Amino acid sequence: MKLTQQVLDLDWEEVKTKITRFIRDYVEKVKANGIVLGLSGGIDSSTAAALSAMALGGDKVLGLMLPEKETYNLTDIMHAELVAEKFGIKTVTIDITPTLEALQKSIPIFDPEDKLCKGNLKARTRMLYLYYYANKLNLIVCGSSDKSEVMIGYFTKWGDVAADISPLMDLYKTQVRKLARHIGIPEEIIEKPPSPMLWPGQTAEGEIGLKYEVLDLILYGLEHFMKVEQIAEQLNLPKDLVEKVKRRWKAMEHKRRMPLTTKLQYRTVGFDFRMPLT
Amino acid sequence: MKQKFKVALAQINCKRGDKKANIQKIEEYTARARQHDAELVIFPELSLTGYTIRDELYELAEHIPGPSTAAIEKIAKKHEAFIVFGMPELSDKTQATLYNTAVLVGPKGFVGKYRKMHLPTHSVFEEKRYFRPGYQAGVFDTELGKIGLIVCYDLFFPELSRLIRLEGARLIVCISASPAVRRTFFETLTAARAMENTAFLAYVNLVGIENGLQFWGGSRLIGPDGRVLAIAKYDDEDLVIGEVDYSDIAPTEAFVPTLKDLRPEFFDKLKEKAEKL
Repeated sequence: MKLTQQVLDLDWEEVKTKITRFIRDYVEKVKANGIVLGLSGGIDSSTAAALSAMALGGDKVLGLMLPEKETYNLTDIMHAELVAEKFGIKTVTIDITPTLEALQKSIPIFDPEDKLCKGNLKARTRMLYLYYYANKLNLIVCGSSDKSEVMIGYFTKWGDVAADISPLMDLYKTQVRKLARHIGIPEEIIEKPPSPMLWPGQTAEGEIGLKYEVLDLILYGLEHFMKVEQIAEQLNLPKDLVEKVKRRWKAMEHKRRMPLTTKLQYRTVGFDFRMPLT
Repeated sequence: MKQKFKVALAQINCKRGDKKANIQKIEEYTARARQHDAELVIFPELSLTGYTIRDELYELAEHIPGPSTAAIEKIAKKHEAFIVFGMPELSDKTQATLYNTAVLVGPKGFVGKYRKMHLPTHSVFEEKRYFRPGYQAGVFDTELGKIGLIVCYDLFFPELSRLIRLEGARLIVCISASPAVRRTFFETLTAARAMENTAFLAYVNLVGIENGLQFWGGSRLIGPDGRVLAIAKYDDEDLVIGEVDYSDIAPTEAFVPTLKDLRPEFFDKLKEKAEKL
């Protein structure tokens, strides 16, 4: 297998059809009224929102815009509004700053200097709002996580990844970009540097230390059982770098799974209790 | 025995775990197929229950013959049609041993069953976890000629189609539950099995989404020369009718005489090498 950008090419019209069919089928089968999702103005949530609107009609999609003062960015809000308008999605904006401040105050060991823990609190707080709306209005929470993030664990456990369905989870970030372009997401959203918005100035590529164009090919190679040496050679990268990505790829399994238990009885969740879902 | 008859490819979306609803759908499609004079109506793999059943298989599997085959026999008698469908079978000798089985019933009742031999247990498939493989090829003598049954992944193993052809089947019926990422394999192999055996091949796939897997449909009837005689839609439910005319076999068999040119001495070698793989 030759690791070039071409291996990540898919028939984007077919992908769009499959994802919209999947969303529609799921919402119908569980008899939900529609979809709720966090709308950040970033490429993943814009794409997930647009596909949900294409699947169900925009009136059945609710985008929650959940800004907070530290990472407040007018451009992102405008981008979210642009997508909502283009695809006819309803939006609700809630400033989560007071909630975050109250939460922070209530945690005896809260450390304002620990930006990761503090940032994760933001992602998990957004999840609370999404699930309240889902619960109250009989909606399905649609996640926006992509395969690159999920493979290297670049997300907040039980935070931004928490959802009932995650229609983009089998597409690497560079593939989401192509799909986004195909379905008409505005170019300024596709082109801007992705960020989980956990602290000011945070960018995914800066933090990961690799461009998604390279990371996705490494991950694609690992997915296809390629050896680290082969990947490094083909992409002209130091072996240590590919090794590091592989270690992270493996170590993050705990973030991709339901909680592990120890087997004590006849059929056990996570082991051999195997029920189909929809 | 008829030389010429119509076959209906009933590409349905099953209601997972709901045998009653699926039997009703089998009746509806059979009735529609009869309006087009089809004498054989074919439904997908595990069409009685849906494909992605996992642990619920133990509750849903039945003996064959049993209550569900009796219900489908009744439909076959009422509509005077042969019907092929798939269901999880519970062994009548043990209490929790299951098979992934294709069933053939006709206007006179139960004709026969074939237990899937090649059980995919890789990628998204977990069939060996639940099913015991069959040990007998399924070839049945009917008024529509000898019909051979295979199920889905069996198509990837040319030995089985060859065997049922050598047992006299001129129509190979392959019922399937293939998710979309495997479409290219099936589109190639359905034609290959028909052509290399100079036989008709009717392939009927599931549609719909189960547990995140999207089944692609694309059911087809292929002639002995590889021509696609009827083809159903991708992804959506469909009912298409094609005609089997056994007199088409002889000219192809004379033109590309694969059966005449068979070299049986390879088969011993194949066995020897496969055992030592």
